[in-house]
Amino acid sequence: MDIFAQERDRLLSSTARTLGIACASVSLLALVYPGVTQPTHLLGVVPLVLLQIVALVLVGRTGSRVWVLVGLATGMTATVVALLPADGPTSPSLATAVIPLAGGATAAFTIVLTSSRLRIVTAAVAFVVAVVLVSIASGSFFTFPVAATALGWVLVFLTGVWLGRSVPLAARRIYSIGNAHRAERQASETEAQRRQGARLLHDTVLATLTLLAHSGFGVTPQALQAQAAEDARLLRHLRLGGTPQPQASGDYSLETVEESPLGQTLESVKQRFGRMGLEVSWHGTGQVLLPTHVLDAFLLALAECLENVRRHAGVTEAHVTIIHDDDMVRAMVTDAGVGFDLTGVSEERLGFKESVVGRLREVGGSARLFSSPGAGTTVVLEAPR
Amino acid sequence: MSIDENTLGVVRGRRAARGLPIGSTGARSLRQARAAGATLGTGYLGFGAAVIAGLQAAYGLIFFLSHISDYPSVVPALLAWLLYVAAFVGTAALVTIRGERLTGRVFAAIGVVLALVVALDFVAIWPLHDVGAYATASVAAGFGLLPIVTLRPARELVVASSLLLVAFVAMVVASTPLTSATVPQQASVVALAVLPGVVATSVLQRFRRMVQVELDRVLVQSNVTQPRFAVGMLASDELARLDLAAEKLLDGVAGGDVPLPLAPKVASQAASLATELRLHLIEGRRETWLHHAVTESEYLGRSVTLVDPSSLAGLLSPPQRDGLLQAVWLLLGDSKSRTPGTSITLTLGPVTAVTGSITSLAGRSVDVPVVVSTTGIRRNRVTPATWNALERVGEYTASTHEQSVKVHLHCIVDNPAES
Repeated sequence: MDIFAQERDRLLSSTARTLGIACASVSLLALVYPGVTQPTHLLGVVPLVLLQIVALVLVGRTGSRVWVLVGLATGMTATVVALLPADGPTSPSLATAVIPLAGGATAAFTIVLTSSRLRIVTAAVAFVVAVVLVSIASGSFFTFPVAATALGWVLVFLTGVWLGRSVPLAARRIYSIGNAHRAERQASETEAQRRQGARLLHDTVLATLTLLAHSGFGVTPQALQAQAAEDARLLRHLRLGGTPQPQASGDYSLETVEESPLGQTLESVKQRFGRMGLEVSWHGTGQVLLPTHVLDAFLLALAECLENVRRHAGVTEAHVTIIHDDDMVRAMVTDAGVGFDLTGVSEERLGFKESVVGRLREVGGSARLFSSPGAGTTVVLEAPR
Repeated sequence: MSIDENTLGVVRGRRAARGLPIGSTGARSLRQARAAGATLGTGYLGFGAAVIAGLQAAYGLIFFLSHISDYPSVVPALLAWLLYVAAFVGTAALVTIRGERLTGRVFAAIGVVLALVVALDFVAIWPLHDVGAYATASVAAGFGLLPIVTLRPARELVVASSLLLVAFVAMVVASTPLTSATVPQQASVVALAVLPGVVATSVLQRFRRMVQVELDRVLVQSNVTQPRFAVGMLASDELARLDLAAEKLLDGVAGGDVPLPLAPKVASQAASLATELRLHLIEGRRETWLHHAVTESEYLGRSVTLVDPSSLAGLLSPPQRDGLLQAVWLLLGDSKSRTPGTSITLTLGPVTAVTGSITSLAGRSVDVPVVVSTTGIRRNRVTPATWNALERVGEYTASTHEQSVKVHLHCIVDNPAES
């Protein structure tokens, strides 16, 4: 609520400034009209009113209460000086000219005097002083200038009270909107986690989408339609709130154990690429236990590499060699395809950085790429165990 | 090969001002909050304005009745008052029944009635040749605009007030001999009739802006309770959108609606869909709450630059985050008083070991240095509340760099390697 108190004070003081300066200007204009008051009086009043305007500006700028007192004091003094009996005949309209000053500009300071008991007492004292001053000057308590001044003070004070009270009221509403928004943010975060957590699902969806991007190159329409139907079904489940695992293609284990064997899932990757026309041969270790998230990243990176081979290498065979030691598992994806010049094709272009390096780095692994035109390509993937 | 793997330069969905896709949940909730922001709390203000207008009307009516014998023909003035009271009560009843809104047509009708009130009052006081002394219902009509200020756009109120000003000035010039005896009273009355509407309009504009800014701040503040890395409202919506698009496409293929082999256009759609999906699955979780706060906020986004290559902001505890966000907010201050070119750069890191505390010896906490460098914010304009907020973040030292304040903060946070 700290900020709201600051906002409230800022609103109140700027209101006081707008109203006060407008009223002071009106009074000043009326007073300087020739014949309204004595030039000697004017000499005293004008600097005082100008000082009051300065106080009005500074009340908003600095927030210091000193300027409120200065403004009230200058306003009262200016009123007294303007209404001092002069030697010549006093203009009957003098009292009217002072009303905007006494009942508007000076009263404007009470707008900022509404927030605590002490301030309200200060405002009340100022009110009494102003009314007494004007009634002494106009000779009686029941005159038009006194009534107008009193009305000005009451209206301005009410304005301050009302404005001051609406700010916390608005604040409460804003906070409840903020709470609702926070709840929505959490829900959206959970939702994003759920969707991102469905990595295996997205893996097959991405594979199918990539196939589609090639207009289904190298796959029979029937196989592609079947795969698309299966993936669409899984996505629908995800949308309706489930956490589906791909199973119809026989690719992934449904276990949610902490560690999963690598070999079993490698076999499913092999089958998938087999259907798309790339023969994958496995060498080396078949059974490595990996934490689920590492396994996911590793498999996804591997699949991306194989997808690149299938599309760009121009061969129908790829070799994957898996070796592991106590803290690392390493996969080498090699093909005897066309290869490419590493400097000629940027890594981003191959989607390599996003899909392979990025994924492995997330789990603390790395990827390196070796290739030259005509000599095939080798990718080394590493992930911690 | 030509259209598929363009991981960069993907055509994204159309975006709203603050970077959320227009159709997203986040953008929708912001829009709703914003729409509510326009009227938040103004109902109460409108009620207050009505009370003030009522008080002034009572005063004016008493004044009129005590001077009733001065009028050569009192009927037009009486009619004006009756009309004003009827319009006031009618409008109040309408607003109470129909809720806090006023259609343009109703406002136009009220404007015509008020103009009629002013005209009738002027007709009645014309033979008295002193507008300042005798205008009552016409002044009340000016106050009658007060409660409407909360219900109609500012420009309409400005037009109404200007018309009133013109009417008053014309009437004064035409009917009242301007002498030193009459001028002060004319000036006072014209000001009394016109100022309330003008001042109230400007105050309400300020009030509305305050509500908007606070709303923005509160919405952004919901970021401080997020985990170290979060996807933000943006990514979640995007992911849902992409999943749905993929589902539709795959459904089309499966059902045969999209013929195989795919047309080049559909194929390129599939390619960009795959690329975007891949990006969101991998890149989505790299951003911290502070990044989301800055990008989602209209006020911060314009002038705050975040340099946090190691995502250290995520390590800050919720109170520290709250303090930092609030400090930045307060430094930027009121958007109106902000000088153009004001900007803040937040630089986090690199991490250093904490020296001289027991927990640091055990390696349980690290020091994340945060540098808040500003341009165009003078040190003497920084409010105490800002320093309080900075204190909650950690130990700070403030200096001045090129006449603008620069703060070095040391945030002691739990060592992420230990948790």
